Order: sequence, then structure tokens, then C-alpha cells
Amino acid sequence: MELRFFIIRRILLLIPTLIGLTLLTFILMRALPTSLLLSQYVNPHSTLPRSVQIAHARALLGLNYPVPVQYFFYLAALFHGQWGFMVSNFYTGPVLTGIEEFFPNTLQLTIFAVILSVLISIPLGTYIGSKPNSVADHAGRIFSLAVYAMPAFVLALLFQIVFGRGAITGNPLGIFPISGTFNYALVPFPVPSWLVSPNTSALVSHPTHLIIFDALIHHDYAIAYSGLLHIVLPVLTLTLGILAGIVRFLRAGMMDNMRQEYVKTARAKGVPEKIIIKRHIRKNALIPTVTVLGLLFASLLGGVVLIEDVFDYPGMGLLGINAITSYSIYGVMGVTLVFGLVLVFANLIVDVVYAFLDPRIRY
Amino acid sequence: MAEVEVFRTKRKEEKKRSARLEDFLFTLKLIMHNRIAFAGLIITLAYFVIAIIDYIDPRWLGVSNLSDALAFLHGKAYYPSATLVTPPTLAHGWYYWLGTTEYGIPILPDMLAALKVDLTLSVEIVLTGALIGLILGTVSAYYGGLIDEAMMRITDIFFSIPALILALAIAFIIGLTFTNIALAFIIVWWPIYARLGRSLTLSIKNMNFIEAANAAGSSSARNIFYHVIPGVLSPLFVQFSLDIGTVVQLFAALEFLGVVPVDPFLPELGRMMVWGETYLIYGKWWAVIIPAIFLMIFTISVSLLGDGLRDVLDPRQRR
Repeated sequence: MELRFFIIRRILLLIPTLIGLTLLTFILMRALPTSLLLSQYVNPHSTLPRSVQIAHARALLGLNYPVPVQYFFYLAALFHGQWGFMVSNFYTGPVLTGIEEFFPNTLQLTIFAVILSVLISIPLGTYIGSKPNSVADHAGRIFSLAVYAMPAFVLALLFQIVFGRGAITGNPLGIFPISGTFNYALVPFPVPSWLVSPNTSALVSHPTHLIIFDALIHHDYAIAYSGLLHIVLPVLTLTLGILAGIVRFLRAGMMDNMRQEYVKTARAKGVPEKIIIKRHIRKNALIPTVTVLGLLFASLLGGVVLIEDVFDYPGMGLLGINAITSYSIYGVMGVTLVFGLVLVFANLIVDVVYAFLDPRIRY
Repeated sequence: MAEVEVFRTKRKEEKKRSARLEDFLFTLKLIMHNRIAFAGLIITLAYFVIAIIDYIDPRWLGVSNLSDALAFLHGKAYYPSATLVTPPTLAHGWYYWLGTTEYGIPILPDMLAALKVDLTLSVEIVLTGALIGLILGTVSAYYGGLIDEAMMRITDIFFSIPALILALAIAFIIGLTFTNIALAFIIVWWPIYARLGRSLTLSIKNMNFIEAANAAGSSSARNIFYHVIPGVLSPLFVQFSLDIGTVVQLFAALEFLGVVPVDPFLPELGRMMVWGETYLIYGKWWAVIIPAIFLMIFTISVSLLGDGLRDVLDPRQRR
């Protein structure tokens, strides 16, 4: 089968998954006691009696209709961008606006983490896997196991203590800020138009919505540098979390391929060892590793929640945590849905890349 | 005549049992030869023994419920300057060997008592999840067709939301209590086993011995329970051993995010680290680092054991 047919089939299979995803969030919402849902619509200062207010809220939420009909209302609302309203210490406003505001920050974090972990793990895994049972191999395995076993938030706290500016006074290594996305003091008053948050002004210039890249585009190098400094520690923590998995899989794949006949053939032909490792073994070992990347992406998004909490980084994770702790059902649903969507599409990309690398699986 | 029959079936059963015992002993022997896996086994067993001791009589470890512990500490074994976070010291008995955390609670007995809570929870979650996933996965893969396709889509949906966030959302919706957290984790956990069981069943399903069983008139249900599931069990067990560490870690993470309102004095590793976090900036590292290392050792030993088991249970290596 050709690659594009495979991609079309995969995209068609996306539809039931997406429907299931919305169904899941809908079930979560409906599983909540109705009184809790309605209580958010009761205004104690209103002159209307409670029963009337509750009746209004029931009508507004469509609770008088049968449940399947309510699901269609829910879907329609999602498509119309009505994702509800949330109130919390962190963010108060429409859920979709909050997601628009904080999602780019998380995206920025994950982009850097994915790039860094691929840049480190592939050479490391190749080197370790090509020399099994050497000192480097054992050191690499112990390191990856230790990083895997260390709770991510403890690692983040340690980074803050050792490298965080102001975490311990007089710390010579304290060069990296420990919270936020960039130094707000750098923003002159009045705020540059491109930095105005999207929900306060329509006249903004956010070409990418990612602060570091936006600053670079606007030649605002001070903010870009500050943004980079702020992102170093969270990215490092996230990277270490997924690094171990990739290195481990790549190593196993390298060792598997090392024993294959085609390697022996290449050696017998006199192909230099470097080229055998790079072009023959690594290329084949990367194929199973790509499938793991999808799962790792899931753990990355899960890890983002923790890391954003520790580093006080205003992203989707912090939005989700605050939605949960302030009992905002719409916030919880919105964040869950967005994380699900991101993962579904990430898995689609992983599958396509996998099919591209290994033509055998395009059945 | 009947007596001979009884004798024969008895002997058959004995033979079966001794074969199983031999198999088990052989596995144990193989693990003992793999030094790293054996170390993992010993450490994991030690953790479980501590948890079991706590179940038998909590007084042996000193602490079972920290609200009792506080009363206890302020009663007879009270160490006056331990009301604040104090560093590890050898001077005041084994209680204070690893220092104290907030409220002057000694870390060592608290940590040991935490194993009861954490290990019980993780075994509960992983075992239930594995059972549900195993049955759904093998049955749907065995029959195939529409059921199988539907099952795959359902597991896809569960895989498309990070476990931590889904568990958080579910626990939030059904109410943040201890039982509900376990339930939320089970809802998140079974699809992994369903997928694993399914893929293993697909490879076993077409083997000759299943065909032979079919030819001998064995029913589908019998095939699944007597032939497919025993074949699927050992790789599943490897996953099981790896997941026990992961669940404890995830639960600690949940505690750290501060969304699990269990009894604030319930001994729990995540809770201890949350307490410790407050004091970390004052250079009081032990209150968070020591429980973290304790959890780290458990996770490492469990994953070493899992890796060892994977090698040992691999039929290619057993021959």
C-alpha cells in the first residue's frame, strides 16, 4: 500500500478516537452530581428565588433533555468554541481563552524538551549500544535508571536548589530563574503591542504565540534571552525524564541488530565499522524507538503538569491543576480534551513517521 | 476399578504439581544466577516484608498512623528539640537516625510505615487493572472481528490522555478520597494490560497447540483459560513488576500536586516529600531527599527485577 493511502486510513481511524475522546469528557461531566454543576449558576445576591435560578440553570445547561441529546449539545458547544467559564486563583475567564493563552507556553516547553532529548539520546544510545558491557555502557545504564527512578518533582527541586537564582542566597551556581516565563521587568511601560495577552486586546502581534520566538521575530533580544534562561531548568528536568526511555530502547535495538546477518555481511565486505554502526545498525534500531516516542510524548505531557507546578510556569498544566483545586468542571474538561487532542495527533505523526521508516508495516 | 482411577488421577495431579514446582525452582535458580536481578528481588522482598510487618503489628515499626504518633511522641518518647525539622542524628535512638520532618515527625519510622499504604495501593491497582485488562484483551483478540476493533479504539482513547491528568480528572469528578483515587488509577491502568494481552494472544492464537485443542473438541472458553492465558501470563508479570514502581511514583506525584486530601497524618512517601519541600530552601535537604532516595531504591530494584524476569522467562533463553 502506498504511503498516502496509509495516511488517509490512519486519519479516518482518527474520527472514532476523537468521538470517543469527547464522549469520555462528556461522561466525566455527566458523572458529576448535578447539584454541584448547578450550584455554580446560583447567585446568592440575586432577588430571584433559588428554585427559579436552578430551573433557569437547568434550562441553560440543557439538563431537561435526554442524555444522548445532551451529548450532541455538548459537541455543538465545543465546535462553537463555548468551552465554559472557569474561576480560580490562577486564571478566571472563558476556558478556551485560557487555553489559547497558556497552551503556547506548554508547547514551547515541550518543543525544547523533545529537541534536546533527541539531540542527546540518539548519539548517547548509539554509542552505548555499539559497545555493550563497556564502562560507558554500565555508566549510561546506571545513569538512565537513576534518572528514571528519581521522582520528577524531586529532580526539579534539586535543580532549583543547585542552579536556581535566589533559591539559596549566595549560591555561586544560581544563574537560572526558578519561576515564570521571562523577566517581566524587561517589558517597558507601556507594554509593547506584541506582548499584550490575547484576551485583553485584539490588536496583538504574536506571529507564533511562543514568547521566545516572538521576541526574536520582533528583535527583542533581551526578552528572548530572558525567556531562554527561564526555560532551561524546566526543559532539563523534562528531558531527563524521557531521555532514559529513549536511550534504553535504542540500546536494546542496537544490540539486537548487532547480531544480524547483514552486519556480518557488511563486515565481511570490509565496510568501515563507523559506517556499519551509523548507516546499518542505527537506522534499523531507530525504527522500534520511534514507536516508543509516542508513548514518551504521553509521559512528557504528564510530566509537564508536575514541572509547571514546581517551576510556577504558566502553562496548561498549571491551568489544569488550578481548575481541579478550584473545582471548575469546565476547566478540567477543557484541559483533558486539549491534552488528549495533542496526544492523538502526536501519535498520528509517530505512526506516519514509522510507516515512512519501515515500509513493511504499511499493510 | 474405581480405586485405580482415583489413584491414577492423583498421580497425574502430583506429577503436574511437581512439574510446576520444578519450573518455579528453575526460574528461581536462573534469577539467582543473574546477580543484578537477584539484588532487585532481595530489595523488593525487603520492602514488602516491612509492609507486611506493619500489617501484622504496627507497633513494631513505631508508627502506623501519625496522629497517634504525635500523641505518642509528645507522651513517653518525646525528644524535646524535635518539634522542628532536625537533621539526622544518632543521639536519640533509631527513631531519629534520619532526622525529622515537619511537626517533629521522625522520618525513619514514618517512611517504613508509608510502605504499607503505598505498596498496598499500588498492588491493588496494578493487580485489578491487570486482571481486567488480561481478560478483556485475550477474549477480544481470541474472537477478533468487531469486538476487537471496538476494544482497540477504546484503548486508543485511554492512551490519548496522559495517565496523571486522567487520574486527576476522574478522581476529581468522583470525589477525592483514598478509595476513589485507587478506582481512578484502575480506570487508567487496565488498557495497558488489555493491549499487551491482546498482542500476545494474537501471536499465540494461531499456534499448533491451539489448533490441536480445537480438533480435540475443546471449547473457546476452555482454550482461552487453559491455553491462551497461561501463555500470556509471564510477559504480563514482567509488566506487572515494572508498574508497581510506577504507580507508587505517580501517587507520590499526585500527593505533590496537593490534590489528594487523605488524612494529613497518614504516612505516605509523597506527602512526606511535600512536607520536606517547604524546608528545602533553608538548606534542610533530608526531609525531602531521604524519602525520595527511599522511593528511588524501590523503583530501581523493581525495574531490575522486571528486567531480570524478562530475560529469565524468555523461552528462547530457558532452553
